[in-house]
Amino acid sequence: MARDIPGQPASDTVAVTDAEFERLCAFLYRRSGLSYGETKRYFVERRLRDRMAATGARSFQAYFGKLATDPGEVERLINAFTVNETYFYREEHQFRCLTGSLLDRIVARKPAGSPIRIWAIPCATGEEPYSIAIWLLENWPKVDEWDIEIIGSDIDTRVLKAAEAGLYSTRALMRLPEVLVAKYFRRTPAGFLIDEALRGSVRFTRANVVDAAEMGRYRGFDVVFCRNLLIYFDEVSRRQAAENIYDSLEPGGYVCLGHTESMSRISSLFRVRRFPEAIVYQKPAAPDDD
Amino acid sequence: MPLVRREPGKPQPDAGTEAADLRSADPERRRRAVRGLGRALDRNPEAAETLTGLLATEPDPTVREAILSSLVGHHDPRTAQALLPLLRSQDAGLRNGASEALQAMPDAVRPHLPGLLADDDPDVRILAADLARGLPAREASALLCDMLDRETHVNACAAAIDVLAETGTPDALGTLRAVAGRFPGEPFLAFAVSVAIARIEGSGG
Repeated sequence: MARDIPGQPASDTVAVTDAEFERLCAFLYRRSGLSYGETKRYFVERRLRDRMAATGARSFQAYFGKLATDPGEVERLINAFTVNETYFYREEHQFRCLTGSLLDRIVARKPAGSPIRIWAIPCATGEEPYSIAIWLLENWPKVDEWDIEIIGSDIDTRVLKAAEAGLYSTRALMRLPEVLVAKYFRRTPAGFLIDEALRGSVRFTRANVVDAAEMGRYRGFDVVFCRNLLIYFDEVSRRQAAENIYDSLEPGGYVCLGHTESMSRISSLFRVRRFPEAIVYQKPAAPDDD
Repeated sequence: MPLVRREPGKPQPDAGTEAADLRSADPERRRRAVRGLGRALDRNPEAAETLTGLLATEPDPTVREAILSSLVGHHDPRTAQALLPLLRSQDAGLRNGASEALQAMPDAVRPHLPGLLADDDPDVRILAADLARGLPAREASALLCDMLDRETHVNACAAAIDVLAETGTPDALGTLRAVAGRFPGEPFLAFAVSVAIARIEGSGG
C-alpha cells in the first residue's frame, strides 16, 4: 500500500486533467478495446486512482511512465476495468438451445472421432464454462458419444486464476438447482468448491478478443459463447471482435451473444438463426447452407 | 467423463499477404490475406490503398467485410478519400459498407461533408446526411441545416431530419419549421419534423 508523503497529495486526491484522462482512455482502448468517454470519467478515474495508490505513483505522469515499462502493471490496470459479475446457469435458455438445437446440427456434419469444441469468451471466474459442462452432462443424451472440449478465456488474468481454483459463493450458485450443487460442488469453509473432475476438464487461457494476432491460435470451434462483452466496445472494436470470432469458428459454427446484443448490428458475416429456445448467429457453412 | 481438456492451439504465424494470396481464387485465402494486410496498416499505411482498391472488385461478402473492418480502424484521410467514390456504387452492400466505414472516421470525413451534402446525386446526399451523425452535435446541426435550407429532394430532407432528431441543437429549430412548410403534400415529413422539434426542445438544448 502506498504511504503518504508530506507535502504531496495522496493518490485519491490527485487531479486528472482532461488531456491525461483522454490519454489514459486511448491507452486502454489500444490495449484492450475497452472504450470510455467523458460520461464514464468517474468510473475511469476511480480505478486509475486505485492503481496509482497500489503502485505508489504520486502523479499521473509517474503512473503512465510505469505503464510504459511494466507489462504486469498494464495487466493489472486492464483487470481493474473488466466487469466480472456473473453466476451459474445465467441465460439458461441458450444452454437449452445448445442441447436442444445446436449440437444435433453440429454432430450431423462432424466426422466421427473429431471433438466438439466450445469456447466461452469472456469466461470471468469460470461460471459460464463450468455451467456449459454441467448442462451438457445433465441434459445432452449423446454426451458420452463425443469428446467435448471446453475452453474459457478472458483478458483478465486475475479472474482466470479464480476460475481455475473453482471456488464459489452462494450467490454465484443461486440459479443452480440444489441437486446439482450437491452433485458437482463440495462445501468448504471458504465456499463451494467445484468437482475436481470438472475443474480438470475445462482449460482456461488469456485472450483479447480484439487482438487478431492473439486470436490466431483459437480456431475450429463449433460454438462460441461471447455474452455481454461487445456492449463494452465501440463500433471499431466490435467489428474487429466479430471478425476474430468468425475466424475462430468452424463453417456452420454458432455464436451466442448476450440477450441485449445483436450481431446483425455489428457485422454482416453471420446469419441470424431463430431456434425455439434462443436466437443465435451462425457462420455460413456454404453459400446455400440453411 | 466425456469432457476433455486440451490447449486451444498454437499461435499461428501471420497469414500470407502476398499479392498472390490477395488474388487467390479461394475466398478464405483472400480473407486471411486481407486480415494480415489489415493488421499491418499501422506499419504500412499504403496498404489502405491496396485494400480500398480490392473493395470495388471483391465479390465475396466475407472478404469484403474483412476489408471494411480493417479500414474502419484506420482513420487516415486517404482511406476516407478512397472510400468516398463507393458511396455512388450500384451495389447496395458495397455502398452501405462504405458508408458504415466512413461513419467510423468522422475526422477524416469532415472536410468532404459540405461537398457531399450538396452533391448532384440525391442518394449521395442521403448517405452524407447519415455521415454527419458522427460529428459533434453543433457542427452536424449546422451542416444539415445548411443542406435543408436548399434541399429539394424529399427523401434527402427526411434523412437530414432523422439525424437532427438525434443530434440537432436549438439552432436547427427555425430550419426544421421552414422545411415542413415546403413539402405540404408529404405528411410523413411534417411528422418527422414534429418529432425532431420535440426531441430538440425536450433535450433542453
